[in-house]
Amino acid sequence: MNALTPPRDCLERSQGHAQVTLARVLGAVRLRDLAQRGSAKAFLPRVDGPVPEIVFLNTSGGLTGGDRLSYRLEVGEGCRAVATTQTAERAYAAGRGVAQVRVAHEVGAGGWLDWLPQETILFEDSALDRRTEIVLGPGAGCLMVESVVLGRAAMGETLSRLAFRDLRQITRGGRPVLVEPLALDDRALAAAAGAAVLGGLRALATLALVGPGAEDALGPARAVLDEPGVEAAASAFDGKLLVRMLALDGWPLRRQVARVLGVLRGRALPRVWQD
Amino acid sequence: MSRALLTLVQWLSPAFPTGAFAYSHGLEWAIAEGEVQDAAGVEQWVADILRFGSGRTDAILLAHALKGHDLEALSDLARALAPSAERLRETEEQGAAFAATTAALTGRALPPRPLPVAIGQAAAALGRPVTEVLELTLHAFAANLVSAAVRFVPLGQTEGQAILSSLHPLIEEIARESAEAPIEAIGSAAVRGDLAAMRHETQQVRIFKT
Repeated sequence: MNALTPPRDCLERSQGHAQVTLARVLGAVRLRDLAQRGSAKAFLPRVDGPVPEIVFLNTSGGLTGGDRLSYRLEVGEGCRAVATTQTAERAYAAGRGVAQVRVAHEVGAGGWLDWLPQETILFEDSALDRRTEIVLGPGAGCLMVESVVLGRAAMGETLSRLAFRDLRQITRGGRPVLVEPLALDDRALAAAAGAAVLGGLRALATLALVGPGAEDALGPARAVLDEPGVEAAASAFDGKLLVRMLALDGWPLRRQVARVLGVLRGRALPRVWQD
Repeated sequence: MSRALLTLVQWLSPAFPTGAFAYSHGLEWAIAEGEVQDAAGVEQWVADILRFGSGRTDAILLAHALKGHDLEALSDLARALAPSAERLRETEEQGAAFAATTAALTGRALPPRPLPVAIGQAAAALGRPVTEVLELTLHAFAANLVSAAVRFVPLGQTEGQAILSSLHPLIEEIARESAEAPIEAIGSAAVRGDLAAMRHETQQVRIFKT
């Protein structure tokens, strides 16, 4: 290799950006703009119903060092929308560099977004820096869930090397309403058995409901936190409901997440969730 | 010893009326459930909360407040970072009491803020090194959790002090790192510590507020 040959890692990088804008036109929610490039795609399997569904997809098949992926959904004033991802996202051994994912959604005044991405599966040596930000307008709200699985228990994988930063942030009027900065690195993995860390569990999820009536959902949410093999608890404060769930593997966690979503949403999950 | 350091030690002592003794930060749930049941378990729990949880997070918030960053923005961030209703109450009630008492002692206008920001707001005027303020604050936090464990596990007084002594190197390390860390370095892996704080809300018999 000479100085003019880019390193292999650079050549294999994938980049993708998908952006969807929904707006209310003559009383109905309509697609106003769809832009996609590189490895990011957005599908709209149900855009004509009262609540459009948007499905984001990373066609590169997984994330590795140096990848850049971004999803953006703008939900216009008074619109409701549900957005999810086509499959679980996988972060593979990074090689050199860090995979960067940016999710930036915006919900206009009085609007509502359910951001329900499928789980993220982290493999040994993966390096992923993800920021998910949902910006809420006046009177707007959102439901957000993030699930992370450390390796695949069924395959006997136990991670020891990882660089994972996963910032989840919901803001309103320029002020943070919820900030959850999950950070798992080699040191945290070495201490993961600790009762205050992960207690040896490897699948974790956080669900956040922010907006009018969020705190009233505490009772109904707590009532379904009894999935076998899952540790879960909920708390409501400051106009939000938070639910945390932990399990040994992704499957019981997914069942628990689906049940909480079921009781909070009162309607069927996006089709990609029903496998 | 300088007078400013004496003031800081006073503000961060267990006798300072912030009501710290009433908060266990979720540790009461872990002890009641038998997850933490001896000196080794207490040391591990407190060390992990310091390194992977609110110890380090609050140290970074405090360092920024000490250095004169936007106190309103730091207060908003501290509130948004609270992982449960009780943990929000813990930082807000102690912060309000700390601000009120230091305001009364210094004659300064010190509005109520979440605890790490309230400490930074008041202590900035003392001119002590950032690392020193962080060390003393982390030490006070650790001492309070250990004291809760001594009462509730229970442990012997000397056993409790031995735990605290063995946490000193970790406290020094976190203070050193946090003094220079940018706000983006805030991150947590103390997931079950947060879960414990949530589960404490529905615990049948409770001595502590959190």
